[in-house]
Amino acid sequence: MLEVKNLMVFYENAIGVNELSMEIRSGQIVGVIGSNSAGKTSLMNTISGLIHDMRIKERRKGGVRITVMGQILFEGQDISNMPPHIRAQHGIVLCRERHPIFPDSTVDENLKIAGHLRNREEIKHGMDMGFNLFPNLARWRKRKAGFLSGGEQQMLAIAMAMIVGPKLMLLDEPLLGLSPAMQSQLVKALKAIRRETGVTLVIAEQFARPLLPMLDFAYVIENGMLTLTGSGPELMENPEIKSAYFGV
Amino acid sequence: MITMTIVYGFINSAILVVAALGFNITFGISGVANFAHGALYIAAGFLTYLCLTELHFPYWIAAPAAVIITGALAAVIYRVVLLRVRGLVVSEVIATFAIGLAILELFRFLGFVGFEFTLPVFVDASVPLGNTLVDAQRLLVVASGIVLTVFLWLFTHYTKTGLAFRGIAQDERTALTLGINADRVAALSMAFGGAYAAVAALVILPLGTIAVNEGYDVMINSLAVCIMGGLGSTGGLIAASFLIGYGQIITATYLGTHWTMIVSLVAILIILIVKPSGLFGHQKELEERT
Repeated sequence: MLEVKNLMVFYENAIGVNELSMEIRSGQIVGVIGSNSAGKTSLMNTISGLIHDMRIKERRKGGVRITVMGQILFEGQDISNMPPHIRAQHGIVLCRERHPIFPDSTVDENLKIAGHLRNREEIKHGMDMGFNLFPNLARWRKRKAGFLSGGEQQMLAIAMAMIVGPKLMLLDEPLLGLSPAMQSQLVKALKAIRRETGVTLVIAEQFARPLLPMLDFAYVIENGMLTLTGSGPELMENPEIKSAYFGV
Repeated sequence: MITMTIVYGFINSAILVVAALGFNITFGISGVANFAHGALYIAAGFLTYLCLTELHFPYWIAAPAAVIITGALAAVIYRVVLLRVRGLVVSEVIATFAIGLAILELFRFLGFVGFEFTLPVFVDASVPLGNTLVDAQRLLVVASGIVLTVFLWLFTHYTKTGLAFRGIAQDERTALTLGINADRVAALSMAFGGAYAAVAALVILPLGTIAVNEGYDVMINSLAVCIMGGLGSTGGLIAASFLIGYGQIITATYLGTHWTMIVSLVAILIILIVKPSGLFGHQKELEERT
């Protein structure tokens, strides 16, 4: 479904992603595990096309020069130079880190804004699915999203991404700042999304423990480079992973 | 005297709301402070005038044509000029100000100066309000203010494009990841602002003549109410329009009409000293613009 070939991302002379290649098959849940500054967000932004937009804006401003090299193929098509909104139309949807919601709009409005590419019926269906996945949200439909808790905002962000109708959903640190109870609720929801919709999930995360058991495959990256690969359960038994991410 | 001040203060406030709504919409959505707003307002007036007098179009064709052409002109300004400087606040201001200046001075250069440039009133009648006689056109401005505000609210809450407007206004990157074309929506917001300026011209300009200098006054007044209300806030714009609108009428009544323009400038100064984000504004959002 998605093939990343020799991807390199530079911010001026600093390297964000270094010669990274990966392949993601349809229907999988794939993890991108790494600590802070490992290059997870750069990778997510590059696959979703956000870096394309950032590069244009930085160039206009005369700000940080962003260089992207390598190739990204989605369903056989080279999307390396495709703007993010077109990638979303093709089914690549990114749920950015730190609860990407519209804080001044209500929960219902957030979901409707997210349904920009969908028709009225599809939006209604998507909203029902979102409220089934996250019953907490249904209680706050008329509440401004900025007043929701961090966990609820993350749920809303995922429900919004689902309404777009993704084939490939990218989640950047969805567990960041959430309580253990909220983390396990979210992990359950992600499993349900894969089970019920067959959407391919790529999850970038540094809190590996709750995620690893459900990962079909995982890439461990450090300093923008791929350092380890394997299935979730395999990596759980890996001593390096145990020491770096579980503190064992 | 007091009744007259109350009635005309209310009407003047409505005029400010109608004139500034377009500027506010564009800033609220795309973040672009469109300093060509006053020029678009005057351009719409002259366009309607030319359609009526030179092309002999009936009013019901001339007026919508002016609204559509002005909206399209605003969108073209965005696509051709502003897209290249988007996010660079100073460049946006310089570019839109220069375009506005060019449009207004072009009209002056082409000889659009004098008292013969007028637009027809919709209803030529007067209505007594208490012991004050008010012409129907002024009441139409008030009605237009209400209709335009309600339409804007309905548009941004119940239409796909309107919801996209609000999405882009709050978080452009998130909107992009959801498949919303930010540049297209920003261009649409410019067009929307331009069309609102044209509608304002159609209802306000029949109260006087179409004069190039009026474009500068509209721009200063729009800027004053938007800065005072909090850039991008419709509620703030309405509140500020009433404060400045009544301030202008009281000043005109008790000090003289030549002092009225000072009110807007003083309002800008005071609000920038006391509460720079405006009455209903979000300074944080302005700071976080990228």
